[in-house]
Amino acid sequence: MTDHHPPIIMEEVTDPVELAKAQAQWERCDRNTAWLQAHASEIYPRYRGKCICIASEELFVADMPEEVLALAKAAHPEDDGFFLHYIPREKVARIYAN
Amino acid sequence: MQINGEWLLCDDNIIRPVIRGHILDGHGAWIHAPFLVDTGADRTVFSAPVLVALSFQPTLSPERLGGVGGIVTPVVIETQMRFRHEAGRGTVVFRGQFAAVTEREALDMSVLGRDITGLFALIIDQPGNVVCLLGQRHRYAIEQE
Repeated sequence: MTDHHPPIIMEEVTDPVELAKAQAQWERCDRNTAWLQAHASEIYPRYRGKCICIASEELFVADMPEEVLALAKAAHPEDDGFFLHYIPREKVARIYAN
Repeated sequence: MQINGEWLLCDDNIIRPVIRGHILDGHGAWIHAPFLVDTGADRTVFSAPVLVALSFQPTLSPERLGGVGGIVTPVVIETQMRFRHEAGRGTVVFRGQFAAVTEREALDMSVLGRDITGLFALIIDQPGNVVCLLGQRHRYAIEQE
């Protein structure tokens, strides 16, 4: 991409209500992330090529992101801290730079 | 400002530097998204599953993204990302246009590029178990024992 890119604006959030809501959501995100990290060695090799979603520390698996999101949201509509991820088909060394 | 990340275990048993954030979706809700901290990436790019979760009507980007896998034409969306800082006591929001890929295999994880990391000092220290962005009143020092 070229450098002719619209600027990104950075702003600090100061509204205490928004900060409290964000903090509560972060706690749910942290729980789902920690759960995935604790179960990573079982989940990653088993579900290659699949989309996974952790919601309320429960695993959901589907082929497409739309499907796995629907499963997770149906089971845990209150959890806005879900962890959505695609597990690559192949285990290869990665170079992300672009 | 100090935005902390972490070293996350990935599917290939490699731990990678990640900063987790939220992205504002098309319905006004914030979606949780981990970002790989990639010092070689010029731009922040959302993964395909994240793009789906955001429920935006994206537009084709006039610019393309190039990498080892070749060149792809991403989509772009106008949205916001937010990150917590100061150990969760604060929140910072970034508004702008961000690219996203539409193929799942193109990116297994969204990437935090230099459009964001370039606004900060970036520390990626695996032996010290540190991933963080430092800016404003925060500084770092290099010391010799």
